[in-house]
Amino acid sequence: MSKVSKRVKVMSAQEAVEKLVFHGAIIGMGGQNVTRCAVALAHEIIKQGKKDLTLTGCNLSIHMDLMVGAGLVKKCEFGLGGLGRFGATFQFRRAIEEKRMEAEDYDHLTMVCRFLAGEMGIPFIPVRGLMGSDILNYQAPSTKKKFEIINNPWNQGEKVVLVPAMEPDVTIVHAQKADEIGNVLIQGIACHEPELIRASKTTIVSCEEIVSTGFFRTNSDFTTVPYHYIDAVVEQRFGAYPTATNGYYSFDADHINYYQQCSRAGGEEYKNYLNEYVYGCETFDDVLEKCGGVKKLNHLQREMVRLM
Amino acid sequence: MEKQYSKDYTREELMAIEASRFIKSTDTVILGTGLPMVAAIFAQKTHAVGVNFVVESGSIDPILPFAPFTVADPIIGHMAVRTGSLREVLGCMVQRGLVDIGLLGGAEIDQFGNINSTCIGDPQSPKVRFPGSGGANSIASCVPKILIITEHEKRRFPAKVQFITSPGYIDGPDGRKKAGLKMAKPDIIVVTDLCVMQINPDTGRLELTKLMPGVTIDEVYRNTGFEPRLRGKMGEVELPTEAELKILREEVDPSHIYLKEFSTQPRT
Repeated sequence: MSKVSKRVKVMSAQEAVEKLVFHGAIIGMGGQNVTRCAVALAHEIIKQGKKDLTLTGCNLSIHMDLMVGAGLVKKCEFGLGGLGRFGATFQFRRAIEEKRMEAEDYDHLTMVCRFLAGEMGIPFIPVRGLMGSDILNYQAPSTKKKFEIINNPWNQGEKVVLVPAMEPDVTIVHAQKADEIGNVLIQGIACHEPELIRASKTTIVSCEEIVSTGFFRTNSDFTTVPYHYIDAVVEQRFGAYPTATNGYYSFDADHINYYQQCSRAGGEEYKNYLNEYVYGCETFDDVLEKCGGVKKLNHLQREMVRLM
Repeated sequence: MEKQYSKDYTREELMAIEASRFIKSTDTVILGTGLPMVAAIFAQKTHAVGVNFVVESGSIDPILPFAPFTVADPIIGHMAVRTGSLREVLGCMVQRGLVDIGLLGGAEIDQFGNINSTCIGDPQSPKVRFPGSGGANSIASCVPKILIITEHEKRRFPAKVQFITSPGYIDGPDGRKKAGLKMAKPDIIVVTDLCVMQINPDTGRLELTKLMPGVTIDEVYRNTGFEPRLRGKMGEVELPTEAELKILREEVDPSHIYLKEFSTQPRT
């Protein structure tokens, strides 16, 4: 059977994670700090306790921190872990400092180039950066070979760094629109996700709304990635909350600050956060209700309108 | 008309304004989170209206009404000519060589202009773990002019950083060339709340070029883990005007996201 399928792929987050995420998987992480992090899907992975995960992406943000805080992550391979002006991702930071998790540092461009190699089916790719930095002097114990420096065969004396392709087992992303067979529209900044999705063996996309395939067929330049790369479509309004989704709603600074306060404190305070907002919520709609419901969400929508 | 200078400013405000003076209307600038963003947007609203911003998250030539929270704040795409992807900006612009100025910060900056934003201590089990490179390594590797804006503290300015996340001159004038970096001699300018330092490409070391008003060389040395050489006669950073401060406070950072924590108290 062809890997590519035009079948209907709409399912719940629970079904999608049960079906596609497995213990020990390499998870591709969409989103960048306060924009379009696949938080609803991350919650589901946590609730299902999928463990020994490797998380990979460019800016690993709050969704990564939640998964690390839940004790499910053995390694991160990334460009940066943090929440910008909201501060460090404290679970991530502590897990590395306490040697509970491996960190394989690259930088953003190198990571996106690794996905680019992955999506094109080539084994490695050259980059111009990294040379002279300590990023090349350290590698995580479980990494086989982080890089290779070669002479440019067409220009002897010019050095380039080769990095290996990265093909995650399953990627989680949140997009604005998708249709039921998996055509995806990402609006606004796309970060590293076009390359990440196409490089992944499977992808779960959660979206603000499911539109008809006709929408894509009549606006085909809107298709960020076609259905060929998508394995599950999860309809989840506000699925990136408390991060933003361009054109739909802004990020919730109050909740992110509250999360940061719990994450920084750690211990019981952090456990309570997970119990209250992740384990204690049957669906992501329950999370949204708990975080302020319609009133809060309307406010975040108005904030987005104000920006546009 | 004579400029109406103001003395009612904080050192941090002047740091942002002074940094902005290195940005010209014809420059293509890659933004980074924090004070560098404040400096760049201030430049766009004052003397460098034509400046062209690009942002790692994929925003190309946005017009930013105020300083965004992060490089992926949804406002970052405001009025952009294209909201594309990370690869388009860090690959097709920075690595390709289309960007003139890179704005960076960091936990540690040393005498060679190397930046550490990774960790303190053994990278495998660090004493303190920072966020990591993000886009900074590519920017430091490929852009011809690097503008670093940071608060001036001794621990931030060691003789040698504990981890080179983003290379300056590495260990001397030929450090970058030996490492294989094509951009062998970038200009590196460091603007702090005490002074301005600039790299000397012949020595590969930062030199002190200007002091903030009222700051002494001795004060800089007391707060620096190395002794930057003096470049010629010490200049003094030009005071801000009332109009500049008004734009900075009311338009660039109206919610005090960046400038709130700064104090007007002199340092000891």
